Amino acid sequence: QQNKEVDESEEEDEIFRRKRLTRKKNRRIKNSGKKSESDKAPSGKRERHRKAATKDQKEAENKEKQTNKKKKGNGESSSSPSASNSSDEESLSEEELERLKEQVEEKKKLISTMRNKPWRMAKKLTVLREAQAFVEKFEGALGKGKGKKFYAYKVMMAKKWVKFKRDFDNFKTQCIPWEMKIKEVESHFGSSVASYFIFLRWMYGVNLVLFGLIFGLVIIPEVLMGMPYGSMPRKTVPRAEQATAMDFSVLWDFEGYIKYSALFYGYYNNQRTIGWLKYRLPMAYFMVGISVFGYSLVVVIRTMARNANESTGDGDDNDFIFSWKMFTSWDYLIGNPETADNKFASITTSFKESIVDEQESNKDENIHLRRFLRVLANVLIICCLCGSGYLIYFVVKRSQTFSKMQNIGWYERNEVEIVMSLLGMFCPPLFETIAALENYHPRIGLKWQLGRIFALFLGNLYTFLLALMDDVNEKLTEEDVIKNITHWTLLNYYNSSAVKNSTFSPPPIDPADVPRGPCWETTVGIEFVRLTVSDILVTYVTILVGDFLRACFVRFMNYCWCWDLEAGFPSYAEFDISGNVLGLIFNQGMIWMGSFYAPGLVGINVLRLLTSMYFQCWAVMSSNVPHERVFKASKSNNFYMGLLLLILFLSLLPVAYTIMSLPPSFDCGPFSGKKRMSDVIQETIELDFPAFVAKIFSYVANPGLIIPAILLMVLAIYYLNAVAEAYQHANAELKKKMQMQREEEKNKRNNKATTNLATQDLEDFLTPSAKSGGQSQPTADTKSDSTNKNSPGAKEESKAKNSNATCPGRGVTMAPPPHVTITQPPRQSVKASSPGRASSGTSPQGLHPGTRKGQPCN
Amino acid sequence: MGSRASTLLRDEEIEEIKKETGFSHSQITRLYSRFTSLDKGENGTLSREDFQRIPELAINPLGDRIINAFFPEGEDQVNFRGFMRTLAHFRPIEDNEKSKDQNGPEPLNSRSNKLHFAFRLYDLDKDDKISRDELLQVLRMMVGVNISDEQLGSIADRTIQEADQDGDSAISFAEFVKAFQYL
Repeated sequence: QQNKEVDESEEEDEIFRRKRLTRKKNRRIKNSGKKSESDKAPSGKRERHRKAATKDQKEAENKEKQTNKKKKGNGESSSSPSASNSSDEESLSEEELERLKEQVEEKKKLISTMRNKPWRMAKKLTVLREAQAFVEKFEGALGKGKGKKFYAYKVMMAKKWVKFKRDFDNFKTQCIPWEMKIKEVESHFGSSVASYFIFLRWMYGVNLVLFGLIFGLVIIPEVLMGMPYGSMPRKTVPRAEQATAMDFSVLWDFEGYIKYSALFYGYYNNQRTIGWLKYRLPMAYFMVGISVFGYSLVVVIRTMARNANESTGDGDDNDFIFSWKMFTSWDYLIGNPETADNKFASITTSFKESIVDEQESNKDENIHLRRFLRVLANVLIICCLCGSGYLIYFVVKRSQTFSKMQNIGWYERNEVEIVMSLLGMFCPPLFETIAALENYHPRIGLKWQLGRIFALFLGNLYTFLLALMDDVNEKLTEEDVIKNITHWTLLNYYNSSAVKNSTFSPPPIDPADVPRGPCWETTVGIEFVRLTVSDILVTYVTILVGDFLRACFVRFMNYCWCWDLEAGFPSYAEFDISGNVLGLIFNQGMIWMGSFYAPGLVGINVLRLLTSMYFQCWAVMSSNVPHERVFKASKSNNFYMGLLLLILFLSLLPVAYTIMSLPPSFDCGPFSGKKRMSDVIQETIELDFPAFVAKIFSYVANPGLIIPAILLMVLAIYYLNAVAEAYQHANAELKKKMQMQREEEKNKRNNKATTNLATQDLEDFLTPSAKSGGQSQPTADTKSDSTNKNSPGAKEESKAKNSNATCPGRGVTMAPPPHVTITQPPRQSVKASSPGRASSGTSPQGLHPGTRKGQPCN
Repeated sequence: MGSRASTLLRDEEIEEIKKETGFSHSQITRLYSRFTSLDKGENGTLSREDFQRIPELAINPLGDRIINAFFPEGEDQVNFRGFMRTLAHFRPIEDNEKSKDQNGPEPLNSRSNKLHFAFRLYDLDKDDKISRDELLQVLRMMVGVNISDEQLGSIADRTIQEADQDGDSAISFAEFVKAFQYL
């Protein structure tokens, strides 16, 4: 949105880009980084690659490098787009030319005097090489005619390229889907709520890929090249169901025509190849089913790794959080009132977030009580979990006995579901209440809450899978019976027809009339699809009723109600992060499990995620209020990812089990007629590959080879883990050392009472290279600051100095809490400061209007 | 080269401005046309109202202070020279002017001058310190009434505690520079 404004007029753009002073310092650092490199100790990673340039190097070299950089128009200069862009694009101006000429001359001089320089040989060589390259490159530019034109053209292209890259970056940002929506939510509700939406968006991306995989490689080939509907029994609605197959109530249950469509496993034929492409559909089906899991695993793990990298990446410049927030949070490019409102909201939210963080870190309380309460809370919650686990177990057992009985009531039939949803309804609030005992930082509290509800939901999953397994077993026995019957029929037919003609032609029965097995795979698929759809509906209805209607009620009935609805009992709903995240995760687990049996499931899920993005964004903005304690989400939402990984693993197990050890149905699905689904691989290898591949494969599949391989992997993991730990340890040590150094420096400075701080600062500022060690310290963090100020030794010393000093009107300035238990040694700055504090009435504030710090005492 | 506005701007003037501020010729002419378009009174100077018409400044919580920075002490008109002098603070540091003229006067767009410009936005009473009260005012402007006074106070205290090094519970320019060293 800002970008739109910027484009309004080019000139405005020009001016106001510069106005972004505070904001832009961020970028400018790259500019000034170069400067600082020449006079400061190389600091930070940004200059890692240029560290080689030592401080005492001739400035000529610096200059040359910079120009080089700029002329090349590489990444460095793109970081300061306005720099190269603001200067006109027509061509290089006179002065630029002049400067260049000067530089080339300088270079030449440098080359000729290289011998006399007191440098090491290696350095001489590099400098010489660089200088020569520079001269070679730019001498042509200064000449007449072709060289100059070429050079001008090059410069122009570089500038154009930079501009293009900037525009492209803007474009890229605009292309991130829902970025604006999420930012808007974030600005009003804080990063924790936004983290849910970011997670949702990520999930949408993953599902889109899965969708493409399944649709592109399985469903579309089947629809285009497979046998058409009605050509064989598995692709036809049975005669008994045909009358109602198009009814909505039937379709809604995913029976009828939907059941016999490419959306479900049973529709696929076991023909080895289909169509003129000889597309191996069963093989493709199997491989896609596997690669859905493979891709998901890889993506989840890669994202986790990247997040982990990011979160450890910038731990070191946390010293001035508040200062930076205070001075640099406004975006000076905002020209639209609406955006400005958002920005106000986001600044407020970010301040609130840091207040919460701050309170949390400063909390000092009875540690024993806290510990006791936390243990108590955990015990309570474990009791709850065990109780509900047992309850689920008990109910499932009971339902198994019920299922054998005849004429049971509605309650008995639905007992498991009722108990599950009651647990799901009451346990999370109960956990939340108990968690209040623990008094964690809300961010950590959220994690605990997520983990606990996750454990509860696992029970849910368990019952669901158990019921499904029962179902499948039942279907398998039923299938055996039917298989015998069909065999019998076919046998009879062949016996009777074999007399007439010896060719095996299929019996002339209409495909709708052929007796067929129950096809447990399709049943499972339908179960998953139903579950997903009902989950979607429940979620949406909950949002609509629980959030929107409640908000409407509170908002409009407030005018005629006896108490204040908005502040009092119902009030507005808060966004339930943990519930939503877990809902998303479990839903994804269902998708992973179900997509093998119902290829169309992923399509439904993509639609669901898409609508819920818009719907939930709207619901949040329209009917929720921000949390009481807005807290900052951790930068990496690796916790969500971890849960997702767990669910992925759990959902992989049943699918793998069915693939490896259950016999597929004999008359439906791409693997019908095989003993196991995985046989399709063997078949392909045997029939389509040369013999030696099959041999290799059989060797590789040998357990004698697999077990050592697994062992090797375990060892490698162990080793890498140990190495990573060692690195971490070293890192922590180094950090500690740096901290110590800072403190030491600070101490020294505080004790050097006679030195004038101002001049010292000035020195630091101008020639920091002189003390490279000192330069790493300036961001002395406040903690060490206050501690060493309060350390008795320093205090006494400075007090002694104070008493010695005989400055007139030295007021003992007492300032708000922690830091100013001390008067700074004899510097006048102390009293001349802070007009807000009238503590030192006689302070010579007015006497020295021009002199600030920097006036020695005498 | 951008000849549309330069009719009103004499070459020697441009030269002087160029020397003073370091803007290039075309930048100056472009800014001049911008200046004249802002100048509704058409008297060659800008007033505070002219600046407030710029939407970016109008909604900026610090907009008034930025506008104030354009005006010399006690005046409420600014001519093109003054305008350019202030804008020069915003000119990015170019790569090749860093090592040059160490002995000459510091250019307006040097890092420390830029920081000083920003510092003055916060330093209302011009005593070269940002006091707690001044911080509170800024905070108030940025967050409105959404956060209680007490909490704002603690934010201000915390900010000072972070940046303050000599214990006078105010942020001096040197401390300000230090805080933004890595920014």
